[in-house]
Parts: sequence; C-alpha cells; structure tokens
Amino acid sequence: MSGDDQAAAKRKVLLCVLAFGSAAIVLPWIGPGALSWSRVLHQQSPDAFIFVQLRLTRTLLALFAGGALSLGGTLFQAVLRDSLATPYTLGVSTGASFGAVVVICLGWQTIWGIPATWVGALAGAFLVLVVVMSAAARNRRISTFGLLLTGIAVNSVCSSFILLFYSLAGVTRSFSISRWLIGSVDATSYSSLGIFVLVVTATAYFVIAQASGWNLLSVDEQWAASRGVDVQSLVVKGYVSGSVLTAAAIALTGPIGFVGLIVPHIVRARITSDHRILMPCAFLLGGTLLALCDAVGRVVLAPAEVPAGVTLALLGGPYLVWLVRERI
Amino acid sequence: MTPLLKTLGLSFSFPGRIVLEHVSFEAREGEFIALMGCNGAGKSTLMDLIVRLREPSHGQVLLRGKPLSEWRSDQLSHEVSHLPQSVRTDLPYTVEQLVLMGRYPHRTSWFDSPEDVGAAKIAMQRTSCWQDRRRRFFTLSGGERQRVLLAACLAQQARLLLWDEPSVFLDIDQQLSCFRLLQEEAADGKLCIAVTHDINLALTYCSRLLVISNHKLVVDIATGEAPQQPGWLGFLSPRLELGTGPNGNPWVWYQ
Repeated sequence: MSGDDQAAAKRKVLLCVLAFGSAAIVLPWIGPGALSWSRVLHQQSPDAFIFVQLRLTRTLLALFAGGALSLGGTLFQAVLRDSLATPYTLGVSTGASFGAVVVICLGWQTIWGIPATWVGALAGAFLVLVVVMSAAARNRRISTFGLLLTGIAVNSVCSSFILLFYSLAGVTRSFSISRWLIGSVDATSYSSLGIFVLVVTATAYFVIAQASGWNLLSVDEQWAASRGVDVQSLVVKGYVSGSVLTAAAIALTGPIGFVGLIVPHIVRARITSDHRILMPCAFLLGGTLLALCDAVGRVVLAPAEVPAGVTLALLGGPYLVWLVRERI
Repeated sequence: MTPLLKTLGLSFSFPGRIVLEHVSFEAREGEFIALMGCNGAGKSTLMDLIVRLREPSHGQVLLRGKPLSEWRSDQLSHEVSHLPQSVRTDLPYTVEQLVLMGRYPHRTSWFDSPEDVGAAKIAMQRTSCWQDRRRRFFTLSGGERQRVLLAACLAQQARLLLWDEPSVFLDIDQQLSCFRLLQEEAADGKLCIAVTHDINLALTYCSRLLVISNHKLVVDIATGEAPQQPGWLGFLSPRLELGTGPNGNPWVWYQ
C-alpha cells in the first residue's frame, strides 16, 4: 500500500471502530418498553437495573461474541484457503454444542458456580481440538487438508450425537437443547463478561498481529514458506486461536456461525482482502452486526424475542446471495 | 570463492518411486541457467529441494557454503526467491497486494514502507503489470496472472532466482521480455535458474544448460559449447535438430 492507500485503510478501520462504539452506546437503549434517560442516569430502578444489568451486558456480549466468531471465520478461511470455511467447518463449534447438550441432558445447572453449559461447551471444543489436531498430524507435520477432512468428519459425528441425545431426552430437556442450539444472546454477569472480553481481546490481538502471515498463507503454503513464513507453526497457531475464539463465543451464545461467513465476505467485497485491514474490520463489524441483530430481535415481535442467530440468518442470508450474484 | 549454490549428491524419492538421484552441480552469481528435461523428469522437485520446500532423502544443498538446513527461514527468504508453477487462480487480492507480499522478508513495520512500495512498483513496471495494479487477481487472464507472480518474485530482491517455467501462458513478446529480464538480473550479479521447455529461448538467453533425464543430471554445459556437442538434444526428444539461425546463432528445429 502506498501512503494514500494506508491513510484510506486507516480511515476505514476508524469507521468500523466508530460503528462498534456507537453500537455499544446506542443499542442498550433499544428494546421493548422505553427506558428513561434521567431515570437511568440517576440510578433509579427498574430502568437503571434493566439498562446496566440486562441490556448493557447483553449488548457487550453480542459485540464481542460477534467479533470473535467473525474473526474466527476469517482466520479459518485464510488457514484452510477455503472461502466457505466458518467456525463450524472444523468441528469446533459442533463439539462445543455437543458438550453443552450433554450437560443439559445431565440436568446440571452450574459447575463450580459457572453455568454448566459453558463448561460443557468449552470441554467439547477442547476435545475436538485435540482429536482433530492429532488425527491431522503425521510425522509432526500438520496438513491443512488433513485438518479440513478430519474436522468435517468430527463435525458429522458430533452432529449425530447431538441428534441422538436430543431424541433420547425428555420433553423439557429437548426444549432446552433446541433453544440452546438456535443460538441467542442473553444477559450475563459482569464477572463472566469480563473474563470473556479479556480472552477474546487477547486472542484477537494475537491473531491480528500476524496479519501479513495470513495474507501469504491464504495464497499458498509453498508461497508462504518460500517467503520466510514458518508455515507449520502458523497453521497450528491459527487453528488453536480460531478454536479459542469460537469456543469462548459459542459457550456464551450458542452456535451463531453464520456471522463468521457473511461478515468476512462483505468486508472482502466492499473494503479489502488484505488481512491487515480485513481482520480488524471483520472483528468490529461482526460484533456490530450481531448486536444489531439482537436489538432488532428484541423489538420486532415484542414481547416475544427473536434469537439473534435467527435474525442474523434471515437478514444476512439474502444479502450474501445478492452480494455473490453481483460479483458473478 | 565459495559458489552461491552447490548441491552434493542430491537424491529424493517418494515411497516406492525415485525422483532424483545424485544430482551435483555448483553455480555462481552472474549465471543464467536453463533447467530442462521431459515432463516428470524431476525439475520442479530439484527446485523444491533448493528452496527447502522438500527435504532431500540423501545429499545436501549448500547456500553460500552453509548447509540449507542450518539457514533460518527468514534469512533464506532474503537469498532465494521461488516462482511456483502455479497458485490458486481465484484469489481476491489485487495485483499490487500480491506483489507486495513478495516484500514479506523485508518488512519492518505493520504497513508497507516506501522502499517496499518502490520495489513493488519497479517490479510491476518491469513485468508490464503496473497498469493492472488495482485489478483483482481472479479477473486476470492466465498470462497476466503469470506476470503478477513474476513481479512478486522480483520484488523479493533475492540473490538466487529459482523460477519454475516463468514463461508459461505468456505471449511471444512477453516470453522474450521475461527471459531478457532474467538475463539482466544475472548481469546484475544474481544467479538465475529457470525451468523451460523452449530450447531456443534457452539457447538465446541462458549462459548454461542443465538437462535432467531418468532422475539424473545428464547434461551440464555452457550454452556456447552446446552446438559442438549436440548429443544433449537427444535427452529432450529424438525429433530435434540443431542448426543455425539467420544471425548464425544456434537454433533448434523440429520435424
């Protein structure tokens, strides 16, 4: 990029930061039943409680979960050189779902004071990570094709187990399972939100810091290797940090993988494919989009709520089709 | 003086299939070598071994007298630039972005430095793809794509240029420009090795010919001596004849 292009790129990232920031400020005010400014500012209940404990945590969760899933999708698309890769592709998100489903079936509510579905989701994701990595490794080398193939195989195995558990569970539990599998954003405590934001931010920083490497790797492994990239270590870093991002988000929101497909494609088509710009923009816009979908879902059918995953797919699916048609 | 590149009894095999056997040669700065041989002879594998994309089964490669296995990959990429036979054609990057990726070994900051941008510009101008710099790679024709890859390799500014079929997909004029460009690089003190099937291009521009046949390096002669020892043509095809062109230069005819 020449100097002018760099300035333009920085402006675009800044715009995305503004979108993310304004979503955090504006969206908590949106929901069924208007909140009064003055009551919130003077910390009067119930408005202040609803704003601080419910709407704000929920919006922040959506912002960072959407960002994590969108960045995770961008990362997997680069590592696997497959523009259809999502956080779903390598089985991590299905593994997380399976873990959560097992926990719901066992009827556990909390483990060590943490919501049990989080523990289940993280354990499931970690298990899949270990299985896929060890199956794809041969002679201490990991091939991306091996990752892709074992990931897809593990994906179907976990999906089948989910269906099996679902059909064996009683009525109330199978309702909880299907509710979890739709993927939605709910209010959460500030302590768990804090840990989540910390993990996502640190991982996202680590991923974005290697943007030039993802650029080369997404062209070709040999292309990257003969330009001085340590391909093996970069592939492992990419897979592990992509899994951390995905598992952390899914544990709190349920599987909303579509955000990881649609946002990177929009950014590639409208802004740039250069991962140095693409990755920060995908993170910021992915978060903004999910928070926006969640806010829309709160009001369209109020008092009923449309889960964020459903709103996202209903709005995002047609847009993606239109975007693809425009490019062909 | 230590040669820039030296291979010692280089062998490579896949399980149950020998690809290269005991390939030994050395090459110095200023040479422009054509690497020739029939399909599947092992030319690309030899290139992969020299750029460390594969590990040899036996033997070793010395770069500046130091075994290749002892080079750190970031230092190696300052010395060797490799043009692969092909990359994906559906890449969403612009021409400029791809060429600038060649500057990865030289990067000092998050964004490209003015030196990076300058080197990329010169490389794009020399391969006539400067006018396409804003176009996305997947909108280019085969020949245009090839010129972008050449530019990315040039922008890397390495001492050793290993180009696997650089003139593939190029029109006649661009083929000549590509080989002239490598000749200029060699004159500038680089070592250029190009795989090619066009014997007349090799005879016109290269200083030395290597031919691989039956997994072995069977011919290693200076281009100037090629007309006196026409036996090497037989390794490429029985239907070739060595004659002279209109300027008295060696020229290969086929029947």
